[in-house]
Amino acid sequence: MGRQHTQAYRQMPDVEVVVVYDRRPERAQAFAQEFGVPIANDFQELLNRCDIVDVCVPTHRHAEYALPAIEAGKAVVSEKPLARTLDECERIVEAVHRHKAIFMPAHVLRFFPEYRTAHFLVKDGAVGTVAAVRMRRGGDYPRAESDWYADFNKSGGVILDLIIHDFDWLLWTLGEAERVYAKALTFRNLDHLDYALVTIRFKNGAIAHVEGVWCDPSGFKVNYEICGDAGMLEYDSTKQVALRTAVRAEGGAGGGVQVPSNPAVNDPYYLELRHFVDCVKAGTTPEITVEDGYNAVRLALAAIESAQTGKVVRL
Amino acid sequence: MKVKVGIMSFAHLHADSYAHCLLENPSAEFVGIADHDPERARAKAQQYGVQAFESYESLLASDVQAVIICSENARHAQLAQMAAAAGKHILCEKPLMTMLEDGKAMLAAAQGAGVHLFTAFPCRFSPAFQEMKETVASGAIGEVLALRGTNRGVNPGGWFNDPALAGGGAMMDHTVHVADLMRLLTGQEIVEVYAETGNNMYHAGYEDTAMLTLTLQSGVFATLDSSWSRPKRTFPTWGDVTLAVIGTRGIVEMDMFAQYLVHYDERGGRIRQVFWGDNIDYLMIDEFLRVVAGGERQVLATGEDGYKAAAVAIAGYESVRRGEPVAVVY
Repeated sequence: MGRQHTQAYRQMPDVEVVVVYDRRPERAQAFAQEFGVPIANDFQELLNRCDIVDVCVPTHRHAEYALPAIEAGKAVVSEKPLARTLDECERIVEAVHRHKAIFMPAHVLRFFPEYRTAHFLVKDGAVGTVAAVRMRRGGDYPRAESDWYADFNKSGGVILDLIIHDFDWLLWTLGEAERVYAKALTFRNLDHLDYALVTIRFKNGAIAHVEGVWCDPSGFKVNYEICGDAGMLEYDSTKQVALRTAVRAEGGAGGGVQVPSNPAVNDPYYLELRHFVDCVKAGTTPEITVEDGYNAVRLALAAIESAQTGKVVRL
Repeated sequence: MKVKVGIMSFAHLHADSYAHCLLENPSAEFVGIADHDPERARAKAQQYGVQAFESYESLLASDVQAVIICSENARHAQLAQMAAAAGKHILCEKPLMTMLEDGKAMLAAAQGAGVHLFTAFPCRFSPAFQEMKETVASGAIGEVLALRGTNRGVNPGGWFNDPALAGGGAMMDHTVHVADLMRLLTGQEIVEVYAETGNNMYHAGYEDTAMLTLTLQSGVFATLDSSWSRPKRTFPTWGDVTLAVIGTRGIVEMDMFAQYLVHYDERGGRIRQVFWGDNIDYLMIDEFLRVVAGGERQVLATGEDGYKAAAVAIAGYESVRRGEPVAVVY
């Protein structure tokens, strides 16, 4: 995600990526080479050299870097989820308020136009009172160099890492959740395979079903449907595709790779970070607040608790 | 020899489809219709060119060998027991029953009379489902870990919105088809149910939204969306039946009625999906006729299958009352 964010910043004439830090020197080195950015020898040195800190470390280390950055008076954008535990989340919320920091949890889904448009349509009453929402997200198991996604204590599995995107969208769009019930393969200790089915009841009576997939070999895809008493919205990333490119394999005997894409002037990561930078410059609170980050983690951890205990978890 | 069949009640929308299947099937003789509403019996009998019986008793006193029961859900038990007592084989619309006692009485009546009691679960006959079942059985996707199903539809209205006749709302109407497919696919019983229901679609005294979480014997878990969440005036079709199977080596996803073309209907002012797949009602009725004529049951759902699927929906209501997952009582 660090590379993705850097590419977004490089499109902004008023932003300069001035320094990078990674606790693994070889990773910092590779990044520095690719983007021509100087390396900080330690995190304190990074803090001394910038105005904005963008935290793209694995989830279990979010608090470890976000907290000192907030305390150093920096504006901080931190990857989702806000942190691995609710206790860490509370400390971040408290620090943001104490230091009056400009802080944004990077729930980038809010800047994906297919999700942003749906949010505002629902808010404008396009489907009336919402009754049922279904959201699906996922593909094959995520691979990182250190394989940290596979360590539940670091990533929180498919619920905390992946479908927290949908949880944030639901909380943003439908308001407070009342209770959650979930089933997941997270604790089955299957080799690089995770799957979750989560049912959330909202205070307004709406019921949401969220499917998290880290076991689909056919690749990443998402879909949703929002059903209300005055209409329904649906989106399916496998169907709404603006451009498909298929290139015949060498030798001409089939087996080519097909790549679907939806080209756009600005990608969601750019839009997300542009919004954050604008807030930093204007001294305003980003539209994704630290409380939003907290609430999404709280819901995700409640779902995990339900999947672990087999009980309904009330929020 | 043609199999002589009568239809008991046209309350359920599916009766029309079964009537067509009987008329088209060379092995069937569609004898006639009886109904709580004698006027409806006369109108339907005229429409299909068959005999209108004045009462269920007179239909059952005729020489029909089998009946198809398409009454309101809560009346299935009474009609099935009458048919069994008259020695007629029975195909009963789903859900088999709305209360466990009714289901038990139906099974006992059929067994006591030595007649067949089957449940109308046509989805079993879907070629897509059959192939999915073979794929799973072959081990191609490894061990089955989880299932995700939906049977969403439009609100049928009428007596379906009267819990006294329907036994509930969307959850009673739409849980059983996919619960049955899950049982058939895995060979396992559903042992626990958690259900969330709501009424934000129609704001009335029945649930229009239902999301069930099911646990099977081996610990395989599943969700099943049985909501009437399809917009009534603008959705391009009646609803769907979908089932996904998550295995250790892969996934199979079925969208049973995705075999359609899209009709942009200027005169009707809407967009419609026009289904071109196989008629699963016909396949089901065809096997029913063969079994009544003495053949072996192959795919057709038994009365017990219908009972077990309906018990899952009944447990869903108990879960809603208690606000927690409950064991399915069979």
